[in-house]
Amino acid sequence: MTAITPPARKKIKAGSFSLNRFSTRTQALFHVILLLFSLLCIIPFIFVIIIAFSSEDSIRQIGYSFTPISWSTDAFAYTFKLGNALWRSYLNSFLITIVGTVLSVAMTVLYAYPLYRRDYKYRKFFNFLSFFTMIFGGGLVPTYVICKSVLGLSDNYAALIVPMLFSPFNVIIMRTFLQTTVPPELIEAATIDGSGEYSTLLRIVLPVVKPGIATIALLVSLAYWNEWFLSLLYLNKNMSIMPLQYLLMRMQRNADFLAKNSSMLGADASKAAAQLPSQSLKMALVVFIVIPIACAYPFFQRYVIAGLTIGSVKG
Amino acid sequence: MKKFLALILTLAMVLAACSFAVADDLPTITIMFHGSNVSDDSAVLEKVNEYIADKVGAKLEVIWGTWGDFDEKAVNVLTSGDKDVDMVFTCSWSADEYNSYAKKGYFLKLDDLIEAYGADLKAAIPESLMQAATIEGAEGKGIYAVNGFKDTATQNTWDVNVTLLNELGYTVDDLKAKGFFGWDEIFAKAKEVKGDSFYPFLVEPMVAERMVTNSIIVAGDAGSTNLLSLYLNPDDVSKDGAYGNKLLNKFATPEYKAFVDQMHKYYEAGYIDPALSVAETSNDARTNHQKDASYLIGTQSYAFGYEFSADVLARGVEVQFVPCTTPYVDTTASQGAMMAINSASEHPEESFKFLALLNSDPVLMTLMNYGVEGIHYTLNDDGLVVFNDDARATYSPWTNGMGNVTILPDTASEGAGFRKSFQEYYAGALGIPSLGFVFDNSPVENEMAALGNVAAQYALALDCGAVDPETELPAFLAALDAAGMQTYLDAANAQLDAYLAK
Repeated sequence: MTAITPPARKKIKAGSFSLNRFSTRTQALFHVILLLFSLLCIIPFIFVIIIAFSSEDSIRQIGYSFTPISWSTDAFAYTFKLGNALWRSYLNSFLITIVGTVLSVAMTVLYAYPLYRRDYKYRKFFNFLSFFTMIFGGGLVPTYVICKSVLGLSDNYAALIVPMLFSPFNVIIMRTFLQTTVPPELIEAATIDGSGEYSTLLRIVLPVVKPGIATIALLVSLAYWNEWFLSLLYLNKNMSIMPLQYLLMRMQRNADFLAKNSSMLGADASKAAAQLPSQSLKMALVVFIVIPIACAYPFFQRYVIAGLTIGSVKG
Repeated sequence: MKKFLALILTLAMVLAACSFAVADDLPTITIMFHGSNVSDDSAVLEKVNEYIADKVGAKLEVIWGTWGDFDEKAVNVLTSGDKDVDMVFTCSWSADEYNSYAKKGYFLKLDDLIEAYGADLKAAIPESLMQAATIEGAEGKGIYAVNGFKDTATQNTWDVNVTLLNELGYTVDDLKAKGFFGWDEIFAKAKEVKGDSFYPFLVEPMVAERMVTNSIIVAGDAGSTNLLSLYLNPDDVSKDGAYGNKLLNKFATPEYKAFVDQMHKYYEAGYIDPALSVAETSNDARTNHQKDASYLIGTQSYAFGYEFSADVLARGVEVQFVPCTTPYVDTTASQGAMMAINSASEHPEESFKFLALLNSDPVLMTLMNYGVEGIHYTLNDDGLVVFNDDARATYSPWTNGMGNVTILPDTASEGAGFRKSFQEYYAGALGIPSLGFVFDNSPVENEMAALGNVAAQYALALDCGAVDPETELPAFLAALDAAGMQTYLDAANAQLDAYLAK
């Protein structure tokens, strides 16, 4: 906008004027705003890293600080001492996220595609079936009964994956994405050229909706990576399959519980509180949790941005 | 394409393949504990199963609930009628609260089982504890859980850093003589000697309030912020207090006013760490000051032998716990840790036999609580338990949450004869006049929730002295009245009167 109405006194060099170009001043302003915004995003994480490397004495004396009195790598040394428990749960997190994302994306696409096809007879019914669960949930206890007693989801990896496989929200996103990027003519053209249903989906439609799939995959993998509540509900005896998030969440919840109930528990609470892991250890685990997802983000981001600019029909 | 679909299907099937069943003729019973810190129970369970095979006729599996998890797990298991969990921890303060869950029919009535298999259990647990567990439940009056014999009386104490106190030129007797309202001089001296960033008074604000006003927790009252007060007789806890057996609005009494006024004076003078007045930081701050021994006087809800526990010894100073009253038995403490049998359980008999054995057989109790000799602990020359810290780090259940801890062997840090004195200490504790009364808050649930929110907003800051009682206390009381305090109070008093009339 500013580029179109430049200040009158400013001389415009020939060839430097373009409709899509911002003035230097506007550019600088945008840079400052974006810089501030990125700082807002990154500072908390830097803070977490600093706390993870702060010594316990420093935290005890001056609390969390960007400039701790003394540094220490005790927290990381301790995480390595946690040994198997930590690495196992780390691996579990990866396994659950990868398998869960692949299965969930496959399910979402396979459910959304027929809903997008106008020639599918039971479209309305299945649309309603998934949409309905968005508005009316069964509640915690019935869900627990179904998952545990009927589906046998207890103390196994399936318990941490299956309950989150299907999300009506993602189906709606995918269906809408299909509707806006894949014109029905494209399907017709493929059919006329002799493509079967599967080949149309796999060879014609999927390549076009890659950005949509990447978006869903990002959403789903984030959800799986951050999930801990399913572990709380369904893991009872087989703790070796617990994901890292739950390991961290358990420490946090233990501390919260003891804080809330210390007056009821008396001396027992004091004893238990003294055994709790240190603040810097918690932050060290947060670092472990954030790094993989931060590394995965750029790969998804490419597709998400691509989704804004490409489509099967140009113009 | 078909290959792709087949791959997905196979993957799904592999994932869905549920837990493999172990072929064994003995039934499996499962117990769920609270507050555990256990990551490896294999060695213990192997020994336990060997030991109980004949005596109980079942195999044991354990769900080691942690402090943060237990409430959610237990409520889910019980309300969904999950028959895979046979025994569940319950008490007067957990989410599966003993009295209300027994009333709703989630716990099995144990009277017949006690009659049939409970002779040893009855011999091991004092009659008074059996009485405390006898309540009006879904199947009539009876016992719905096995009550653990632990620190079954409440006693609040001043936690005194004696090393520092002596350094300042005072003794514990000086503290006692001056009393809570007269510690200005000592605190001022501490501040002068230790510097301005030193906070001598390390309070757990809610506990301090009960200590100074001699009020107690009323079972069934709003959870984390109590609303009701019942006043004790500090000289003889078994006699009526200043207000008789009447429940009062905790925040409207002159005792409370005097307490918060004094706390505000101490806070203004800089004797109390401001971090203690904020719910999120209060507990961490308290634990940190204790670890550093950077306090002069603190509050501690006491259990016999606490001075020998690792975390007190680690402070590196001489600590003395100065009691406000003799230990008293109230409903909350006497239902502090129990084990109930899930009414959906398919093996109630085996489960009860196990609980009875756990509470009466030292071998089993020691195994479950301290672990395996040679792995988790060794016995020293005096026959005292010395823990192996590395193994114990993977296996430390919550000792008091398991059952009868008086049959445990003495540890080296506690000293010989500890459990015996422990038992005597609590056996001699007197009951308060209204022992056994539990406020059934279900008729005034809505009021309680509203009042709890109001109290959460004001109480901690007032108790800690962080705000001025002249302005905040009237505002607090008005907000409580608006939220229905009188209705709540009347309901509680009507129930107490009816209970005492029986």
